[in-house]
Amino acid sequence: MSLDVLFNQFMSGIARGALLFLVASGLSLTFGVLRVLNFAHGSLYMLGAFLSYSIWKHLLIPVVGFYVATIIAALLIAAIGLVIELFLLRRLYSRGWPEQLLATYAVVLIITDAVKWGWGGEFLSIPRPKPFTGAVLLFDFPFPSYNFFIILLGLGLVVFLWWLVYRTRLGDIIRAAAHDREMVSALGIPIPWLFTWIFVLGSLIAGLSGAVSAPYGAIALGMDIDIIIECFAVVVIGGMGSLPGTLLGSFIVGQVYAFGIMIKPELALANIFIVMAVVLIIRPWGIFGKPER
Amino acid sequence: MDMHRAFARRGSKAKWWVLIAIVVLAIAPFILSEFYLSILCEALVMSLLALSFNMLFGYMGQLSFGQAAFYGMGGYTVALLITKLHFNFWLSLLAAVAVAGLLGGIIGFFCVRLRGIYFSILTLAFGQLLFFIVYKWHDFTGGDDGIQGVFPPDYLKSPVIYYFFILLVFLGVVFLLWRLVNSPFGKIMQGMRDNAVRTEFLGINIARYQLIAFVIAAAIAGLAGAVWVPFYRSVAPFYLMWIKSGEPVMASIMGGPATFFGPILGMFIMTFFHAWILGFTHFWPVIMGALILVVIFFLPGGILGFAQGRMTNRRKKGPPSKG
Amino acid sequence: MFLQAENLVKEFGKLRAVAGVSLGVRKGDVHAIIGPNGAGKSTFFNLLTGYHTITEGRVLFKGAEITRLPSYKRCQLGLTRSFQITSIYPKLTVYESVLMALLAHRRMTLNFFASASRFCAEDVWRILEDIGLAEQAHVQGDSLSHGDKKRLELAITLGNEPELLLLDEPTCGMSPEETETTIQLINKLSQEKGLTILFTEHDMGVVFNIARRISVLHQGQLLADGPPEEVRSSAEVQKVYLGGAA
Repeated sequence: MSLDVLFNQFMSGIARGALLFLVASGLSLTFGVLRVLNFAHGSLYMLGAFLSYSIWKHLLIPVVGFYVATIIAALLIAAIGLVIELFLLRRLYSRGWPEQLLATYAVVLIITDAVKWGWGGEFLSIPRPKPFTGAVLLFDFPFPSYNFFIILLGLGLVVFLWWLVYRTRLGDIIRAAAHDREMVSALGIPIPWLFTWIFVLGSLIAGLSGAVSAPYGAIALGMDIDIIIECFAVVVIGGMGSLPGTLLGSFIVGQVYAFGIMIKPELALANIFIVMAVVLIIRPWGIFGKPER
Repeated sequence: MDMHRAFARRGSKAKWWVLIAIVVLAIAPFILSEFYLSILCEALVMSLLALSFNMLFGYMGQLSFGQAAFYGMGGYTVALLITKLHFNFWLSLLAAVAVAGLLGGIIGFFCVRLRGIYFSILTLAFGQLLFFIVYKWHDFTGGDDGIQGVFPPDYLKSPVIYYFFILLVFLGVVFLLWRLVNSPFGKIMQGMRDNAVRTEFLGINIARYQLIAFVIAAAIAGLAGAVWVPFYRSVAPFYLMWIKSGEPVMASIMGGPATFFGPILGMFIMTFFHAWILGFTHFWPVIMGALILVVIFFLPGGILGFAQGRMTNRRKKGPPSKG
Repeated sequence: MFLQAENLVKEFGKLRAVAGVSLGVRKGDVHAIIGPNGAGKSTFFNLLTGYHTITEGRVLFKGAEITRLPSYKRCQLGLTRSFQITSIYPKLTVYESVLMALLAHRRMTLNFFASASRFCAEDVWRILEDIGLAEQAHVQGDSLSHGDKKRLELAITLGNEPELLLLDEPTCGMSPEETETTIQLINKLSQEKGLTILFTEHDMGVVFNIARRISVLHQGQLLADGPPEEVRSSAEVQKVYLGGAA
């Protein structure tokens, strides 16, 4: 195994990890504040990809079309997130986690059929947008420049979330609510609106990641379940509801996947399970997580 | 004491319902057409799957989104043994239950380290992993073609006779499960559901007991699949899919997860409804999703839970009740 | 010493909730742990019972080290506790809850077939009568009054047939009559059944009524440890704590 091949795989892993972080961060944010694991997060991701495809096809604007479609798709998904939170989740905060989980599970079922109805069962794809159509040579190996776009977006999101959570008043509220919801409510901060905005933000990120993922991989049914499982692996490995944990987990899962492809492509998914299994045995609360007691 | 008599009265009323149900099920094949008989077979088999799910959910408080994977593995084990190795039918059934139980042990070992939503998503993940393996391993499992030509022995080939076989298996499992939930182990399961910390501080190793329950549930699901496949004559990867796993979830929620017979009721309704729906649309998941939401918001506790709530409102102090 | 804590420390991040506490409980004693809010009493209990992991130090029970043992194993050895926030089974009846404790203790829980109600009936009724809940045997846990719930939890812990019983604020939230009943109950358990009891309390009336030994915790450290008169007359303790209820 020469160094350049390894480096190439490493960079592939970084790109995949960046995309995973994009998706998983929305999930982690929602969970950290609302304490609800939004099962439908993967569905919103998938819907974002499909929507951006259709918008892009409709717009037919060269070059900028993809980016415009991405933004519109993300906003549409955020709107769907708003609907889900207002009409479904809000009524369930007082019920237990089973009802919340079941409700988001129901949404997954509904969206999966909605996508099948809207776009059929075919694989769709979007070509990479300018200026990221080509490849960059890393040690004589071509590395798709679009992957750099994804990595940049991932970094951008890290910076944005760090700023949001640690440098804004909203962030203070977020961190406080993650610790002690009742206290925050007692301080006069309207918890329902906080929850709505966080959920909408999470959905926006999901839709955005879905749209961004379209030129990177295939747009297909089953994306929803695949990504939610990978996100879950990220969270298990990195630690529940912790943003640094999500970052680390994304990195690890990305690398495991990239190097797994090298060894035996069909079993790449299984490798992630092996890592998850190991973490569950040694440190069930994740690397950056805290034990419950 | 008054309470004792109240219990005894309700117990015997339930016994009458059970008796009537058994009689109806026994004469069904002589009334129904072959088409409806096969739906009834499916209802019975899927009810076993629903019962296995609710053993973990209603009785132990853990939501498993991957029960169909054990169901499918049971089916595949029987299919592979019968078609590729020409194994004895009965031994194949036994092997299927063993395989499902073993997988339940391996997967359960990891899942029981987590609680609540984490447990649930991990069961989904492992279920998908099994689905993925079966789907991709074309040489061994036939991939997305599945396996066809799975036949039961000659003396069971008649649909009516096989129906009685399924009915016997169904009644046997229902009986054993009924004993289980009322046994000391069943009480511990309910204790873990109601207050895991309290149960732990009574000296119970929670992970170990949950694992045992998980293995039993997996074995029952595997038995259901093993019994179904020779009737339907084929098996396909979608039997292990997460969408299939949603069916016992929906049926139990709809029928009433806090009761023993709720999942059976829910599954009977669901199976016949599904058969009817298939007449004009393949969009089944959206209907399942919508029904789950309807139950969550308008019929919490499911049909039997709702009915019981009405009954206990007429009494002064509500005793807890199981089917 | 029946139960011995050696230099127990518990750190939550930078917070030292328990900062090196050593104390021993003698067999057959009724031993109280008191201290102002935040003194670390409940955390100390949690360390003894395995609810929290121990940062430093050791715990020995009946001479054997239990420091790294998980909670359920400590219960199996005879160390049972009640919780400050009453921990019972809301959907099970009083009878079923106590039965569960007995079945768990007697290792009869890996029975998958026989009807649970066939077992231990005499012992369940005996415990219910001792506690005074026999008439409510078939009432569901969450239908009970607060005081009865606390008694139910006590009954459940007795069903576990403990040798050492840890009670976390047993009279918390109780009316004066209920408190009096509980005092008599604890006395009965100690004198008639020979149970060793370690408890935390805020109600000084209860403490000085039944405790034969008192340990005072303050800011995670042991301030005083001895018979009631000694503790009551200690100047340090008075300064820190006994402001008025004694």
